[in-house]
Amino acid sequence: MKISLNWLKEFVDIPDDAQGFGRKATGVGLAVDAIEATATDTVYEFDITTNRPDCLNHLGMARETSAIYGTAVRPPKFEIREADEDADNVFSIEIADADLCGRYCGRYIEGVKIGPSPDWLKSRLEALGQRSINNVADVTNFVMLELGQPLHAFDADTLHNQQIIVRRAGVDEKITTLDGQERTLNPSILVIADADRPAAIAGVMGGADTEISSKTSNVLLESAYFFPNGIRKTARSLGMSTEASYRYERGGDIEIARYACDRAAALIQQVAGGRIYRGVIDVYPEKRKPVTARLRRRRIKEFLGEAVPDEVVNRIFQRLGFQTTPTEDGWSVEVPSYRVDVSLEEDLLEEIARHHGYDKFPPTLPPFAGSGASLPYEREERELRTILSAGGYSETYGLSFAEESTERKFRPDVEPVRLLNPMSEEWTIMRTSLVPSILTAVQWNMHRGNRDLQLYELGKIYYSGGERRSLILASTGALRSKTVGEAEKDFDFYDLKGDVERVLEAFDVDLRTTREGLPGYYHPGRSAKIGDVAVFGELHPDYADFIKPRQRVYLAELDVDHILRSRKLFQTQPLPRHPSIRRDVSLLFDRSIEYTAVRDVIENVGIRELVRFEPFDRLEKGPFPDSKYSISISLIYQSPDRTLTDNEVDAFDRKILDLLKQRLGAQLRT
Amino acid sequence: MSSNGIDQLRVLEQQFAKELPSVVDQRSLEDIRSRYLSRKSGLLSIQLQGMRSLPAADRAEFGRIANELKTHIESALDELQTSIVERTKNAKLLTETIDVTLPGNRQRLGHRHPLTIVWKEIEDIFVAMGYSIEQGPEVESTYYNFDALNTPPAHPARDPRDTFYIAENVVLRTHTSPVQIRTMEKMKPPVRIICPGKVFRRDAFDPTHSPMFHQVEGLLVDEGVTFADMKGTLERFHKSFFGEATQTRLRPSFFPFTEPSAEVDISCVSCGGTGCRNCKGTGWIEVMGCGMVHPALFRNVGYDPDRYTGFAFGGGIERYAKLRYNVEDLQLYFQNDMRFLEQF
Repeated sequence: MKISLNWLKEFVDIPDDAQGFGRKATGVGLAVDAIEATATDTVYEFDITTNRPDCLNHLGMARETSAIYGTAVRPPKFEIREADEDADNVFSIEIADADLCGRYCGRYIEGVKIGPSPDWLKSRLEALGQRSINNVADVTNFVMLELGQPLHAFDADTLHNQQIIVRRAGVDEKITTLDGQERTLNPSILVIADADRPAAIAGVMGGADTEISSKTSNVLLESAYFFPNGIRKTARSLGMSTEASYRYERGGDIEIARYACDRAAALIQQVAGGRIYRGVIDVYPEKRKPVTARLRRRRIKEFLGEAVPDEVVNRIFQRLGFQTTPTEDGWSVEVPSYRVDVSLEEDLLEEIARHHGYDKFPPTLPPFAGSGASLPYEREERELRTILSAGGYSETYGLSFAEESTERKFRPDVEPVRLLNPMSEEWTIMRTSLVPSILTAVQWNMHRGNRDLQLYELGKIYYSGGERRSLILASTGALRSKTVGEAEKDFDFYDLKGDVERVLEAFDVDLRTTREGLPGYYHPGRSAKIGDVAVFGELHPDYADFIKPRQRVYLAELDVDHILRSRKLFQTQPLPRHPSIRRDVSLLFDRSIEYTAVRDVIENVGIRELVRFEPFDRLEKGPFPDSKYSISISLIYQSPDRTLTDNEVDAFDRKILDLLKQRLGAQLRT
Repeated sequence: MSSNGIDQLRVLEQQFAKELPSVVDQRSLEDIRSRYLSRKSGLLSIQLQGMRSLPAADRAEFGRIANELKTHIESALDELQTSIVERTKNAKLLTETIDVTLPGNRQRLGHRHPLTIVWKEIEDIFVAMGYSIEQGPEVESTYYNFDALNTPPAHPARDPRDTFYIAENVVLRTHTSPVQIRTMEKMKPPVRIICPGKVFRRDAFDPTHSPMFHQVEGLLVDEGVTFADMKGTLERFHKSFFGEATQTRLRPSFFPFTEPSAEVDISCVSCGGTGCRNCKGTGWIEVMGCGMVHPALFRNVGYDPDRYTGFAFGGGIERYAKLRYNVEDLQLYFQNDMRFLEQF
């Protein structure tokens, strides 16, 4: 909202400079976005909050200014000279739909001379960025900027049957508005109609057929009150927003309609001549009831934190136009009709706080007993993030929106959450998987030349009826590039599995690796599951076609909330007092035998002294048949109560070897 | 004769003193040691053998001086021995010198996302002030997102141009305020909570807009909570987050769910309040909205508005990260470009 300092000063004295006034206004909640100094004036751009339509004009701003500086408001002075003929003899006004229109005031002015506006009027409008149209139209705009009341002037001779009916539009009724557009209406839209057709869309825009033209000589002047919700719906449904609808949507001042009608009629006469017929045709079906709120004195301190002297309270209300009556414990306050935002005691407290000054209330801290708490498993989550960072993974934030066709490829079995009003054709659903999200991040970086990546996201996925968190890791390219000290190392499956195992071990999840039930976007030969808490492996090449030249991409998806809850309480074990003995064996197996089978056999061998075993080498080729491979395993033996002898350990080795031979056809490689 | 024997010891001592400096390594050390101290052929031993020819009266004197000389030579050679060993070891270590200015062998270190860093820091500050963290669903009913928050049915915030709808009465939450209602529904005052989380608004991506971003909101409800308490709390938080010199001011504003409402400004993080490009010369930067909880909200959750008062506040995590790290473009948070992420 633009406000001219010169204009404002007609209504109130401002004992301050332009910048100072801007700061003070901002301090009472009328935020100044910009101050523009012109040759003769200063124009403020105010950001007026939606609850304060009363400040969308100069008189309203003058009231606030008056409360800031304690200077008096001078409303505009004018005199209306009426002719002898009664207006309601020549024109009739009827409100057919009083649920949308609360009041309609009209004045009839005969014999105006349409022409350019005088300079003073032009310059007022132009200072605020409004185009001058003609003297009559300019007056309606001027009074709106002065008093906040939107007005409309009809060419009275174009209104059929000298009649105004405020009614809902018919189905598919049409009107061509002032901007030349033909618009199709419906019964939710209120129109100002004559005997035959709509002449204006109420509170939004006038019609082209009835507008003031150079030929106009008789004017019907409208000053009405339309209810906010109806105007808002109309403006929305027609995709229109005008100065008038902007004000009506936020709430007009039903009591100023008549005064504004007089003010505009008098100005029209001043700048365009004509005879004002006697009387305002004022249709006001249900008079507004006064709004009164109580204010208890003790609530000022209880609510704001510090008492405010009575005389300050009284002065603030008086300057803002509120009527106060003392009561036993405070005040009874009558709210002026233009303050649509005030009805409760809290609203009155706000007025006091605003004009006394938010800075007048010294900061305090509320008393406190008890303790604050992070979310459950927050500590574990932070530890997880530390583990991932230490493992080289950088955190990403993917978009929650997703493309349906992509998501369906990855999660064909999940019913997605669909947006009724997506922002683009691309993002129509909420993501059902973190995979496309993180692949987008991989792709983004690859396209920018960064081909060595370790990324993770700990984020939400959504499905019809719910949402949950998941963790995903994505890695590709070199784990380590060549340095003076070390050779280059590409990230591979075992690096990924190690990262997954590290997370699981940190939270005491100890489950078996299987190949069962892998999703189709994983490489069938290079992917695995660990229980139901982790799926990981190489991305199937069919899903990695965005990477050129192709390089392997590794993914791991983890059920993070399950993992974070899995940590067990434990107690330490005493340190062993006797030395351990390590034996290394190299074995040949058929290629069909996987390590998990070997591990099963050794784990179940029933040797209490076998405390640990670990494969440490695997050979694909060597002095053995191509159908076999060699694996070397270290076996660690230890007894809690004595030092083991070589003979004993030899026997253990034999037992394990025999079992592996018997169950899996193992051969000892020599 | 007796003085002659002692003189010879003196000569020997001078001779040793002359030779000692030329002993520089283990081998010459062994040489000199055996030349003087060898039991049979050592120069000192030869002198001692001559002691028998001395008069008995002189023997004691001669013996004493000879012993002193022996101790002197031994200790000088031991000392030399130590220093030669040390020198040899040092020389060997020197040959092992490598270029320590080359970079070390490093495992890649991952980076935390700036939003997580800021999010957790904000949580920690408030937890230390006695607040608890609460969460709620991102796909939320219009009741919790709007109705219960005193947002009128025709309020522009409900417009499908601004809010994502899943169904007529289900939206992607536009703020984390629904968590406040959900929390008040399940507990009685005092309530002291922080609700951080993801929110959605129907804005196209540009440097200052994003359809998805993150908010942190706070709510405190108790008997006797005042507007001044809200000021003090927000002042304390911003000092903790931006530094003790940070000033906070409240400016009247409007939100449907608070009354009175305010915008929270802090003294500009770039210029400290003197005015610069970042604060458009005003010295202040807007960071939050806040206000005293509207009595309608209390009624919606069954609290007595005459008994309880409270305040609520909320700000964008992206904005705090922007102010902390000077992030110029909101889109950087969600592009996940390593050139951005690795700066954290």
